[in-house]
Amino acid sequence: MHRALYLTEYIASGPISRVKSLVRIPALLLLCAVLFDAAALGAELNIFAAASLTDALKQIGANYEKQSSDKVLFNFGASSMLERQIEEGAPADVFFSADETKMDALTAKNLVVKETRKSLLSNTLVIVTSVESNLKITSPADLAGKSVRRIALADPQAVPAGVYSKTFLEKEKLWSQIEPKVVPVDNVRAALAAVESGNIKVGMVFKTDAAISQKVKIACEVPADAGPKISYPVAVTKNAKQVEAAKKFVEYLGSDDAAQIFTKYGFIVLK
Amino acid sequence: MTPAEWQLLWFTAWVSAVSTILILPLGLFTAWLLARREWPGKSIIETLVSLPLVMPPVATGLILLKILGERGAVGGFFYRHFNTDIAFTWRGVLIALAVMSFPLLVRSTRVAFEQVNPRLEQIARTLGASNARVFWTITLPLASHGVIGGALLAFARALGEFGATIMVAGYITGKTATLSTEIYHSFNNGEDAHAYRLLGMSVALAFIAVWSSEWFMRRRKAAK
Amino acid sequence: MVYAPEKSCEMKLLLQKISLPLAEFSLNVDVEIQNQVTAVFGPSGAGKTSLLDLIAGLRQPKSAIIQLGERVLTDTAGRVHVPTRHRQIGYVPQDLALFPHLSVQQNLLYGAKGTRTRDTLFSYEHVTQVLEIRPLVDRRVTNLSGGEKQRVALARALLALPQLLLLDEPLASLDTVLKSKIIPHLARIRDEFHIPMLYVTHDWDEAQALCSEALIMERGEIVRRQSI
Repeated sequence: MHRALYLTEYIASGPISRVKSLVRIPALLLLCAVLFDAAALGAELNIFAAASLTDALKQIGANYEKQSSDKVLFNFGASSMLERQIEEGAPADVFFSADETKMDALTAKNLVVKETRKSLLSNTLVIVTSVESNLKITSPADLAGKSVRRIALADPQAVPAGVYSKTFLEKEKLWSQIEPKVVPVDNVRAALAAVESGNIKVGMVFKTDAAISQKVKIACEVPADAGPKISYPVAVTKNAKQVEAAKKFVEYLGSDDAAQIFTKYGFIVLK
Repeated sequence: MTPAEWQLLWFTAWVSAVSTILILPLGLFTAWLLARREWPGKSIIETLVSLPLVMPPVATGLILLKILGERGAVGGFFYRHFNTDIAFTWRGVLIALAVMSFPLLVRSTRVAFEQVNPRLEQIARTLGASNARVFWTITLPLASHGVIGGALLAFARALGEFGATIMVAGYITGKTATLSTEIYHSFNNGEDAHAYRLLGMSVALAFIAVWSSEWFMRRRKAAK
Repeated sequence: MVYAPEKSCEMKLLLQKISLPLAEFSLNVDVEIQNQVTAVFGPSGAGKTSLLDLIAGLRQPKSAIIQLGERVLTDTAGRVHVPTRHRQIGYVPQDLALFPHLSVQQNLLYGAKGTRTRDTLFSYEHVTQVLEIRPLVDRRVTNLSGGEKQRVALARALLALPQLLLLDEPLASLDTVLKSKIIPHLARIRDEFHIPMLYVTHDWDEAQALCSEALIMERGEIVRRQSI
């Protein structure tokens, strides 16, 4: 700080001192702004959340910002990818995953604050086709049929939506026939986009994803009791820069206001 | 290394080699045109040829996906008439690699052709040789080291191609996964050991390819 | 095609309304020649090589009529341009342009249509004998001396059965001893093969030894014609 002041004094006392002294004041103000910005203006929270939560969380985040001085920034993606990023040191304050295993992995590595962990939501799986498709799919077994050539799935090896789908199809003894047709994509919204664009005719996504798209139709639903147990946990990360603000946000996610929005988008709010 | 990893290495090398061979005829012809001919609008062709080199690979991949996907002009045609898919198959990988390494081939071989003394080509013509004969007997043999070096460089580029490949073909294990897309995929899935082994393979392959390319280019200079 | 030698071969070479913009001036030639060997004389940069290039069809003029014998090779007004490979004009450039990746024999045979003709004059055996290059045929071009390269370049051009031979300072890079050795070969080409030649030089002695007329060029124009 002192060196910076000396510098500005030095510049000001030079031959072009008038101009330099005019520069001096805004320079000092800028310096102050940079130094004191974070503390005075409220926290900036980095929320790493599953892709399927995109629309709901954006709205919840906007509401939260209105009633708090904090700013909420989202990083949406496959929960598996986000888990990796957090493990590699990405600056997340809150992690909102689409399945428990990702949260378990981070807990095992001591990267989340255990006491803040809560399972907030559930969801159901659906099979979607593009709107103008005339493929007849009335049950998951139809996926094994000849008319279905390719199926878009969020990578069934790790991304929650894909893992859930695979678990379900294995239970139905359909996976071995379906697996060769699977085109793995980065996350559930990518699967949705693939079907929307017509590049792949059939996909499996969450019901909440299908709901926000006009360009796909739900061919078949997997009822909650028939499907795998879907659970979305949330927690504050150990390395969060704004621990208190993060805790407050997580609390808000469990509030009635938030629950209303989640329900509106089709999520099942867990008690 | 597991059998699956060997298969991946083999597939990556094979599809890169085939894509390089595929672009040789058009690439050499384009390089020759750019080296030896002038015409109005030449700079537009030069720019178009260089585009995939400078554009973000995923952007090029997106364009290719639009053309090669089932709804696309080319992809749709092949699907309707031959019941063949291009996007999300090895054919898509092949085309993505070909498009991405084409500019590199053209640039390197153009330089090689430009370094052939044009006087030799002119004298060959006074001796009655047609343009084709001049190319095959004079230009190409004298530029051969540079051409091979350029082809190897294009091969190396194809080996490492990621952005366009992942758009057009995804990373379907055993079908369209290449070394680079598999590294991305397995890293995201937390399979670190696997990813690092693949990383090692990538470095080794790239090193060999580029080193050989440089060796050929150097031999050409020595021969002068 | 059997090349029937006439007693003296004086093919008409018509260079009319030649105009070609060069770096510092324009090439402007209008001349009709009918000699065995014509010298083109002038300082460097006078446009002599450009003139030869035009005649061989290696450059496009702004305007020109070039006629060899009865054949019109170039007529910009009439949109005629016979491509180089059909002009049957031999060219021995200043740097000889021997193909470095081919052997001497492969160089010689590159344009040779005559290996299969029964015409003994232009046969491979005869030409290599006249120019005394038989012992060199299996060598690589890069291993030849200056004089040897010169003769190989001449032989290569001859074996393509040219109707006109363009020589661009063929003896410029040789010492006097070598020059005196090669001039007789050129004379033999003139006397035995009867091919008209255009001989660019700036050595008056060479011109005198071989040519019947000299065109003197300066800054792209023929300023004087002189019988020798």
